[in-house]
Amino acid sequence: MIQVNDQPFEWKPDMTIADLLKQMPDVRFCSVVRLNGKLVSSPRFRETRIPDNAVIHLLPLVAGG
Amino acid sequence: MGSVKLNEIKAVSYDRAEVIKGYTDRSLHINLADNDIRIDSIDAAVRDKFIGGKGYDLWFMWQAVKGTTKWNDPENALCISAGPLGGTPGYPGGGKSIVTTISPLTGAPIDSNVGGYFGPYKKFSGFDVITLTGKADQDVVILIDGIESRIKIFNAAELPDNAYDLSDALTRYFDEEKPVNISVVTAGPGAENTFFGCLNFSWYDAGRKRVRYKQAGRGGTGTVLADKRIKAVVARYGAVSMKSNQPADLEALKTVTKTHAKEIHDLDPKQNRMALVGTTHLVPIMNDHDCLPTHNFKFGSHPGAAVIGEAVYEHIFDKGFDGCWRGCAVACSHGVKDFSPFTGPFKGTRVFVDGPEYETVAGCGSNLGIFDAHTILEINFYCDAYGMDTISVGTSIGFVMECFENQLITAEHTGGMDLSFGNRLNTLELIHQMARGDGFGAIVGKGIRRMKQIFAEKFKADPAFMQDIGMESKGLEFSEYITKESLAQQGGYGLALKGPQHDEAWLIFLDMVHNFMPTFENKAEALHWFPMFRTWFGLCGLCKLPWNDIVPEDNKDTKEPAKVMKHVQWYADFFSAVTGRKTMPDDLIAMSEAVYNFQRIFNLKMGYGTREHDTLPYRAMGPVTVEEYESRPDRYDTQLTDTYGMDITGMDTAAKVAALRKERESQYEQLKDAVYDRRGWTRNGIPTKETVQRLGIDFPEVLEVLAENGIQ
Ligand code: SF4
Repeated sequence: MIQVNDQPFEWKPDMTIADLLKQMPDVRFCSVVRLNGKLVSSPRFRETRIPDNAVIHLLPLVAGG
Repeated sequence: MGSVKLNEIKAVSYDRAEVIKGYTDRSLHINLADNDIRIDSIDAAVRDKFIGGKGYDLWFMWQAVKGTTKWNDPENALCISAGPLGGTPGYPGGGKSIVTTISPLTGAPIDSNVGGYFGPYKKFSGFDVITLTGKADQDVVILIDGIESRIKIFNAAELPDNAYDLSDALTRYFDEEKPVNISVVTAGPGAENTFFGCLNFSWYDAGRKRVRYKQAGRGGTGTVLADKRIKAVVARYGAVSMKSNQPADLEALKTVTKTHAKEIHDLDPKQNRMALVGTTHLVPIMNDHDCLPTHNFKFGSHPGAAVIGEAVYEHIFDKGFDGCWRGCAVACSHGVKDFSPFTGPFKGTRVFVDGPEYETVAGCGSNLGIFDAHTILEINFYCDAYGMDTISVGTSIGFVMECFENQLITAEHTGGMDLSFGNRLNTLELIHQMARGDGFGAIVGKGIRRMKQIFAEKFKADPAFMQDIGMESKGLEFSEYITKESLAQQGGYGLALKGPQHDEAWLIFLDMVHNFMPTFENKAEALHWFPMFRTWFGLCGLCKLPWNDIVPEDNKDTKEPAKVMKHVQWYADFFSAVTGRKTMPDDLIAMSEAVYNFQRIFNLKMGYGTREHDTLPYRAMGPVTVEEYESRPDRYDTQLTDTYGMDITGMDTAAKVAALRKERESQYEQLKDAVYDRRGWTRNGIPTKETVQRLGIDFPEVLEVLAENGIQ
């Protein structure tokens, strides 16, 4: 089980951030997530695997300076 | 630090105007030529049209300067205003000052939005706006004392030169018992000796018992202060509360303040964690999206970025409350204590560094090939203490380094210094030289536009190549984002009134990552709405970060998530509550549009403000060199074949660079047309008569400037 935006979510082996986002509704503005406290950006979504018990926050928008 | 010795040369008492619904309706004018101090009323018509903040600054500057005024002419005015909402404790970002002047870099009006307590203290002392004109014949300090209702001018012969010691010394001098009552505006020796001097606006951090400061960085406002021989402007005021603005509806103000602050408290820890890392979270994000300036904006990412972002600074920042305005829940103005510089006049001492923010890390770190958090801190510290803008410093040195690596300049020109990318010690030496105004630093301190001329004339460097790689537009150095893959952000920089600073529009992700604005018309609409809404913060004395750096959890479900309309509504409520003017979100845009167009026409008055001045160096649009193209060959090849339908078989890289350039330059010109149309401007980038009439800024002097430029 993992936590996504404070909600429990089923974890699967080899699951990537891209896999996770495919299952989430309306994530069109999500280009960055925080995975266990570390920032991961969209170019790395497909290669980044999610460990079991991970805590994930989807960052809503990147607003710049 | 020596003891402070000030000799009073002028003092006047005044009746302190009450602040009612956010306004004092008074302006303060100080002319240093004869130490004249004048207080005027502000007409209701000016208030209704220009709102406050940047609007007031520009209106009073317009009255002070002629079309021929240069930055160092005595009549050039340095204006500071806080806006009607500024000075609301507890409202996130509710206490900014806006500074304007004719810029030494651009020759046109520059505006800079800055934290610290000066703007609110000045307003509560009785003045919505102050204008400083003339030049003193000796160094002076100006005190606006709202507690005693006195304005004083002092001869200041023996004061510390650097802003770090000077802010501290004057804070303690003017209110030893309650230093929190003082805010000091200072520049520094670098402001005297470069064209990109900044202003440091202080506040007293009661928790740490030390003076802190934020910078009005862009465009040389500090250089103008130094040229007027003003060492500091000090505001003194006592307790501030939600009632200080005498809001029209105190209960409504409390409600909207609490609501916005609570949301930030709840959501910042889940979103950008700015209360912990400031804006340094942007370093890894920009790096991953190929938008982090690296080696003079040549590239957008570098493996070394991992050690200059939030992962490092989170652990270095001193823990504690870091709001640059009272009670700001974002509290992103972090600093580093007990830092020990290894060069320069503070070498071996222990100092507190205010910063760094993202812009400084990118400009003075990755853009220079410096991937070392300690060196970035040292550059940050000295730029502030010397009174120099970290963005212009970083972008200018990046240009110098690329010129050096391409042998357009050599060690013979740099005084023997190797200025290759990554040379940390020589970067610091160059900064010390800039502050002293000696050696090669004296040339670099003039900014990129003048360096290009000097390098071409004196060192026979190739002007065309320098035009392509020199990251300035309108004379102002770029802030720190790579825009090659975002046409909308190219417009965000190139069409910005003051020059390439991202505070007008930051559209990179909406455009490049989310493809949210595929057509020219979509981009033009964004380049209308976002600059207008962002301008509004400057009119009211607010910080824009709480608007869209922390967003409501249900924001994605709204019709226009990028605008964060829930917050826009809160800002309209905030404005209504303070001023009593019933306001809807669209009204905020209308307020800004009048001032925005007025500023464009101000540019025109100063000899700029037309299409030819909205140009960009090609590096902002695409790869200048073969090396750049070949660093992202798949991306560019695909664009040539798929987007532009070219057959690239047999083309060498130089030919591909040229082909891509033709397309991208043409796109940027088409974007200009679309944006001018949307803004109600001619194809030469000038507001039409209908536009100024619609916005109610068709004053005779405005129409005169338009007529001189062929608009009848
Ligand atoms: S959000 Fe940050 S920069 Fe803006 S007022 Fe608050 S502390 Fe200052």
